[in-house]
Amino acid sequence: MEETLQGVRFFEFLTEEEREEFAEASEPVSFGPGENIIEEGAEQESLFVLVSGTVEVRKGLSGGRGRLLAEIDASHGRTVVGERGLLGESGASATVRTVGEVEAIRIPRETFRRMVQEGRPAAFKLSYRIARTLARRLTRLDAEVVEAIRELENKGETDMEAFRDRLITDWSV
Amino acid sequence: MRETPDLRDVPIFKHLDEDERAEFEELSEPMTFEAGQRIFEEDAPEGRLYVLTSGTVEVFKKVLPGRRQRLATIEAPTVIGEMGLLTEPRAAASVEAMTRVEAHGLERDRLLEMLDADSPAACKLVYEIGRTLAERMATTNETVAEVISRLENTAARESEDIDVCRDQLVQNWSF
Repeated sequence: MEETLQGVRFFEFLTEEEREEFAEASEPVSFGPGENIIEEGAEQESLFVLVSGTVEVRKGLSGGRGRLLAEIDASHGRTVVGERGLLGESGASATVRTVGEVEAIRIPRETFRRMVQEGRPAAFKLSYRIARTLARRLTRLDAEVVEAIRELENKGETDMEAFRDRLITDWSV
Repeated sequence: MRETPDLRDVPIFKHLDEDERAEFEELSEPMTFEAGQRIFEEDAPEGRLYVLTSGTVEVFKKVLPGRRQRLATIEAPTVIGEMGLLTEPRAAASVEAMTRVEAHGLERDRLLEMLDADSPAACKLVYEIGRTLAERMATTNETVAEVISRLENTAARESEDIDVCRDQLVQNWSF
């Protein structure tokens, strides 16, 4: 298991010792095509680091339609889903579904919170990292909202599609 | 005698132990703001996090020219400036005292040094801030989803719909 974590970019911010702590706290999981890793509205119990494969992030919008928010490919870019649930209490805000076969590493919320209670630096480092990601996304969304309000007020040639696309990038499930 | 804050009453300090709270109490600088005084100025540097122990503040932003958009009214005990600790030290909105406000300032740079040194007190504080941000993100997600829904349903974007959309963006601010 240690070897698996060593190769995963997401864990690079931890020292070797801390990676070992997470290796003990986490478990490898495999999903077949079309499986829900995280389900919208359900209790969000784990963070998943995607090791291989592709997932879709979908959100039910009013009127019962589901909308594709993002497609995440483990081979490049962002590889973590469910990070908000590790810190927060609210249910998942979107569904994360596998497209094909997906290999991931699961960090259960319960284990993570026990590590926090034990005062383990590895857990605090991860929460610091998640907090910074959330803060950056909130700041960016607020800036988009200000921009949209200004444009709506001008009732000008607002490119609403572009605005909508900017809102849905980088969703924190 | 130097006045020390009672951090036990402030939610994000609640889970710290006595020694950890004492560490922050030692570091903090007591401050008083009179009604009408600015604590943060939008776009100006945000070098401190303030723990408010009494009073009420208003958060507002210049969204449209010449208009001051009120985003929130916050009552002590609370913390302001926590976003600046985790992102850029630049205030995204202005914060003004509505009443006399008793506060305790914590230097951002000092907190970051503590985090770099894996100080348990600072780590716990950031963990608690992270928990509040996770909940704020949940609210923001729902608002964003609602706005996307509206945008997609408004095929012929009448100005009326645009007004509704704008109002919703303003009212659901996740501050």
